[in-house]
Amino acid sequence: MSIQFATKRLGKELQKIQNYLPPGIELVSADNFEEWLVDIRVLDENPLYKGQIYRLKFKFSSSYPIEPPEVVFVKLADRPIPMHPHIYSNGIICLDLLGHQGWSPVQNVESVCMSLQSMLTGNTKNERPPGDEEFVRANRLRPNQIDFYYHDNNV
Amino acid sequence: MANKALQLKEEGNRYFQAGDYVSAEALYSKALIADPTNSMLYTNRAMARLKMELWESVIADCSECLKLSPDSFKAHYYLAQAHLPLHNYDDALEHALKAHEICVKTGDKSLAAVTALVLRCKKERWDYMEKRRRREHSDLESEVLVLMERERDEALTDPELSDAEKPEIEAEWARKIETMRTVFEKARTNSDKRRDVPDWAIDDISFGIMVDPVITKTGKSYERASIMEHLRRQPTDPLTREPLQISELRPNLGLKQACAEFLEENGWAVDW
Repeated sequence: MSIQFATKRLGKELQKIQNYLPPGIELVSADNFEEWLVDIRVLDENPLYKGQIYRLKFKFSSSYPIEPPEVVFVKLADRPIPMHPHIYSNGIICLDLLGHQGWSPVQNVESVCMSLQSMLTGNTKNERPPGDEEFVRANRLRPNQIDFYYHDNNV
Repeated sequence: MANKALQLKEEGNRYFQAGDYVSAEALYSKALIADPTNSMLYTNRAMARLKMELWESVIADCSECLKLSPDSFKAHYYLAQAHLPLHNYDDALEHALKAHEICVKTGDKSLAAVTALVLRCKKERWDYMEKRRRREHSDLESEVLVLMERERDEALTDPELSDAEKPEIEAEWARKIETMRTVFEKARTNSDKRRDVPDWAIDDISFGIMVDPVITKTGKSYERASIMEHLRRQPTDPLTREPLQISELRPNLGLKQACAEFLEENGWAVDW
């Protein structure tokens, strides 16, 4: 698959999302077809996330969208890492949609953002994944190369 | 002799890979003298000549190749690319489609590139026709204007006309000319306005207009090159994640026709 394929698809995605994005999702920067930054917030009154904005970093390989993008939360002074049992404190997200098995090429930046929005909206647990500290210290793998064990699907 | 030809070809390939297309071309030519019956030598030389932008020579080489092996994917693929810069849009599209057909039949990995080439041929042909159409329209507008002005001037020179009537006639013609201009202007903006691509024509994987849509069990259609790329990596339906094999894909002929007709009228949509 050529680099052109990813570039073309991302060019069209960009055109689309510059036109319209669902509420709570905002494109911060897309200066190239390798890395985009997007801000998201939840739309309901969930006290865990109310009033907060979170920064997402998308990294695309030349095989996108056949291969999933790498998506992580980024920590800044005014952009915390959301508290969630599937989100590590270094921003790495454990979501089947973003893994090689769960990804589908019909997904896109917008649909990933919406999935993350609803993943936050539906959560009530004010906690990190089990083993967060150890994971954050020891992990050297790229986020989308980690084979998470999706031990619990009701969060 | 065949052995020597192969040796020369290998050497040519090395130069080609290093970006020295002139030396590669010379070596392929030598190889052809040694063995003029090897059709692949013609496509190799065509590939070098394509880089050197020697379009006519590319066409000659590919034609020779097709005489020896009529189903050469590369010959059709290069022919399409050489015909484009020469503005032979119909020939370019014909060979691109032929290359696509062979690609599908043989399961060649170049399907995505060929699909892109088919779209480019359609786009460039449309651009060309559109430009011609616009030129014709603006020529026509100038012509009509000249005729109208002549008619007006004739009316004004009528000896029976009193001085009091003249401004009236002038105003009437000014109004007619203005109306004519508005009509032409409207036609122009109308053709500028049609800039919406219908969702049914778009492949959800590449986000491009479909050239060869194939349908899955769920009833959803994708561009053949896109879904094949996905299925080679993971044999599941992109929507349902249920198992899906390449052999289960079926061409969606109605949609293919609809997309082709849409592009015929809206070539710009290739780069929407």
